[in-house]
Amino acid sequence: MDIAELKKKWTGWTFDEVRFEIEAEPLAEFSLACGETLPRYTDPQHPDFQAAPSFAARFHGDRALPEGFPSDREASFDGGKAVEWKAPIRPGDTLTARSHIHDIFEKTGRSGGMMFIVHRMEFFNQNDERVSIVDWKMIRKL
Amino acid sequence: MILDLHSHSIVSDDGRAKVENYCQWIRRKALSLDGFVLTEHRLYDDESDYRSLEDEFGLLILKASEVETDYGHVLVFGVNEDLCAALDFSRVDLPLEEVLAQAQRCGALAIPCHPGRTRVGMCAHIETRGLVEGVRIVETLNGGSRGEENATALALARENNYHSTGGSDSHIVSHIGRCATRFATAVSTMGDLITELEAGRCEAVAWESEEWISPN
Repeated sequence: MDIAELKKKWTGWTFDEVRFEIEAEPLAEFSLACGETLPRYTDPQHPDFQAAPSFAARFHGDRALPEGFPSDREASFDGGKAVEWKAPIRPGDTLTARSHIHDIFEKTGRSGGMMFIVHRMEFFNQNDERVSIVDWKMIRKL
Repeated sequence: MILDLHSHSIVSDDGRAKVENYCQWIRRKALSLDGFVLTEHRLYDDESDYRSLEDEFGLLILKASEVETDYGHVLVFGVNEDLCAALDFSRVDLPLEEVLAQAQRCGALAIPCHPGRTRVGMCAHIETRGLVEGVRIVETLNGGSRGEENATALALARENNYHSTGGSDSHIVSHIGRCATRFATAVSTMGDLITELEAGRCEAVAWESEEWISPN
């Protein structure tokens, strides 16, 4: 598998777009499940109530990879998510999430060669303000 | 002088530690460490500037790389424009001989790291393909090693009269300084570091029971 070719062909363009309506109760539930204790994350009555910083990681798009992407997802395993907070997410927001393949790279570890596919989901609110970036790594053994 | 010669920051794809947090950890834990070298995976970070952290914390912070070769991973000290142009750091199959030769040509120094790592370290490759000319130094103490991996690396160094280095291979803050390299004289630049390493005026040490222990 030519990683450079894969990267050239499949990275950098949006292949999925989904919308999410944000309500107060799920925000508070997520925060409590994460062990947050600050009222601005757990109490919907707090004047600065907003989502916990990692909240956007709970969302999935309609597709994990672009249609036709030459990788067997069944043979991949989850490499975890990294969330970058950009601005508050609040109840009443409508988020638009756009997904693209941000990076494809190869590395070697204890178990040999691996290919990493970095799926990036960028979240924008109704004011087109970017509120969160979620990078999800999928790892495939080579 | 004690320097951790193998560490990763968030610049590496799997690094979870900010450089500032390494510095804070060293100070808070009063670690007996004079500095560390950031050896980011498959790239050379020519953008980050850590001079203000050096001043604030009284540490030496140098930048290097960890590249991937057909004989396992290799630390490269003294990376410069010439070397970046000569080698594609993003590759995972760089020929070790070429890395050694290009490093020498460019005034840099290549040191195979964690060579005792099972299946993928330099020792495993030597078993099937033989020694590589040009290796003079290997990392014999790696903070991420398991089982007998460091002992295997040390045996390799002894058998071939290689000089030895140590490094934590830290990816998270609390792992910095688990292993390091002790120098007989002060090192303040990358040039000094390469000079001392090439001369073998150094030894690998591990932090155990509140003191530096040398396995040599």
